[in-house]
Amino acid sequence: MIEVEQLRKSFGELTAVDGVSFSARPGEIFGLLGPNGAGKTTTIGCISGLLTPTAGHVRVMGHDAVHDGPAAREALGVAPQEIALYEDLSAIENLSFWGGAQRMRNPLLKQRIQEVLEITGLQDRAREPVKRFSGGMKRRLNLACAIVHSPKVLLLDEPTVGVDPQSRVRLLELVRSEAQAGRCVLYTTHYMEEAETLCDQLAIMDHGKLIAAGTLSELRSMLAERDLLRFSGVFAPAAARTAVERVEGVEVLQADEGLLILSLAEASRKLPAIFAALAAARADVRGTTLTQPSLESLFIRLTGKELRE
Amino acid sequence: MRFVWISALKDLRILRRDPFSVLTWVGIPLCIGLLIHLVFGGSGGQAKPQGLLLVADQDDTFVSRMLAGAFGSDQLGKMFTVEKVDAAEGRARIDRGDGSALLVIPKGLQDALLNSRPYRLRLFTNAGQRILPKIAEETLQGMVDGAFYLQRVAGDQLRGLDSGREPSEADVVLRAIQTRRLAMDMRRYLSPPLIELETTVVEEAHSASTANFFFPNMIFLALLLMANGLSTDIWKERTQGTLRRLAMSPASIAAFLAGRLAMVALVYGAVGLTAVAAAKYLAGVTVVNLAAAAGWAALSGTVFYLLLLPLAVFSSGQRGADVRGNLLVFPLAMAGGCFFPFEVMPDWLARIGRWTPNGLAVVQFKDVLLGSVHPAHLAAVMAGLAAAGLLAYWLALRGLRGAFLR
Repeated sequence: MIEVEQLRKSFGELTAVDGVSFSARPGEIFGLLGPNGAGKTTTIGCISGLLTPTAGHVRVMGHDAVHDGPAAREALGVAPQEIALYEDLSAIENLSFWGGAQRMRNPLLKQRIQEVLEITGLQDRAREPVKRFSGGMKRRLNLACAIVHSPKVLLLDEPTVGVDPQSRVRLLELVRSEAQAGRCVLYTTHYMEEAETLCDQLAIMDHGKLIAAGTLSELRSMLAERDLLRFSGVFAPAAARTAVERVEGVEVLQADEGLLILSLAEASRKLPAIFAALAAARADVRGTTLTQPSLESLFIRLTGKELRE
Repeated sequence: MRFVWISALKDLRILRRDPFSVLTWVGIPLCIGLLIHLVFGGSGGQAKPQGLLLVADQDDTFVSRMLAGAFGSDQLGKMFTVEKVDAAEGRARIDRGDGSALLVIPKGLQDALLNSRPYRLRLFTNAGQRILPKIAEETLQGMVDGAFYLQRVAGDQLRGLDSGREPSEADVVLRAIQTRRLAMDMRRYLSPPLIELETTVVEEAHSASTANFFFPNMIFLALLLMANGLSTDIWKERTQGTLRRLAMSPASIAAFLAGRLAMVALVYGAVGLTAVAAAKYLAGVTVVNLAAAAGWAALSGTVFYLLLLPLAVFSSGQRGADVRGNLLVFPLAMAGGCFFPFEVMPDWLARIGRWTPNGLAVVQFKDVLLGSVHPAHLAAVMAGLAAAGLLAYWLALRGLRGAFLR
């Protein structure tokens, strides 16, 4: 179990995490969403003991991450965003080293190495140097090193970045099975569809703050069945904003020279009025996308920007 | 403690996968051994430096020929080749650096020696050489001193023999009586002698050969360069994210660093053993105790690694670490007797250099090679190096736990 209370972390003048609180329970996948620089990795750094919080408390399985660091870290398995492996060593040698770092001993370590190699589908290449692996295989091994000691809590920082679809499916299945085995999983991702299909609880971070939290259905209800309408083209941002805001029930989420994002109910019915308003504002519309209510539209509505920014 | 072994094993496995690095490290001392063997020939450690002494003998008498001939006989003959030249040619050659020294014997040497007259020999030495010209100068100074005392003690007898005609039987009897009286006068000083010369004959096996002269600085230069390369390797752990990952595990970074240190010590042990064995068996370097010499090289190398590690850790990147390391290693090598032996360095620089970490280690290494270690001195140097190493370990650890991880 992870408990985060009023966590704050500053680097000089910059406050990377500002008063964040949440908790994740055993058997649950807790998704942490946010654009780059939102504070997700800093939050994971504080939970894992890599960073010392400026204020607030972090507890892992009841152990304070600062004052009882080794015990807290013993309960943790961390798959960092960067692939942190020894490329000159084989998969077995990497697993053996990281298992040893987690205080595992033979013969249990040897047994677990074989198990995780099988789970991640790496047993055929287990004795090859990692530098010969594909990106997807390295990602799987990165995750295997995090679970080799059967931790009670898993911190997975964007574990599917840059992997092929086949490896992604395998990785997501692996994360689900770890949660089903009773582990508490904290999962950060850029991929909305991953978060939607995988996570039981979600929290959205922006500028170091938690701006929304709850189950997927709770978050969806915040959208009140509103659609997301995207226009691409050439706009005078202020004129375009003023023009479309005159159409009833339209909320402008983003307006710049190349992109206009609106939130509204019954979008298809209001489209003619919106096009007329944009034409009056001398906008050159080149493309239109209508998105039904989703986590992504909620994210854009809450943060004013797309997740990949 | 268990993680120290795990960490060392990991580094040794990585090393095994990079045989080129291992071969380079082991190859450096082997190359050094081979170079010593080639430079100093198959005679190994017994080879002596050869110098060229140019002699312009303008006196051309028995005494002047004897003086020049002294450089061509016995031990001096193994060091010098004597070549007769005229003064102008000799001066031109020595100005070109062709020769170790030029000895000009102006006319009148024999006359001056026999008749106690003032006389001046002239020696021109090659500024580009340090050892052989010095030997020539000191040898000549010894001869001049000897001639002075010969004049003082037996001047009359010598002058008597320089009358310019065949001595008569009466002259011979007179000189014989004078010589006997002189011997009787000298007897109270010489028998038993009041002034004694104590001579210690150093055994041949322990004599400092030329190979012994150059080997310690060559091997310690290799150890320093290795330390620089190994210390900046810590940046690989940083850039591949493994150190951050380790900090998120219950394993301690102190144990991780200790494991790395154990690997470094093992590598230095292997390189030291190879180097000393190569020097002993290929180049004939005197090595009284091979294990002790290899052990000292390993200990010194490990301390050099530790001293350079904080420099790497507190750098802004691997390139910065390389630059800083080189900026420190080359002056240290230069002053600390790793490029040139202390014996050929200016005295002031040698005095400073002997107090550098590598200078202290080189001096002790020479004693270890020759088996002439002073235990108390060795222990003091070992303690000093260990203390410096521990301080550097603590500093590196602080760096690794701090900004290096972020």
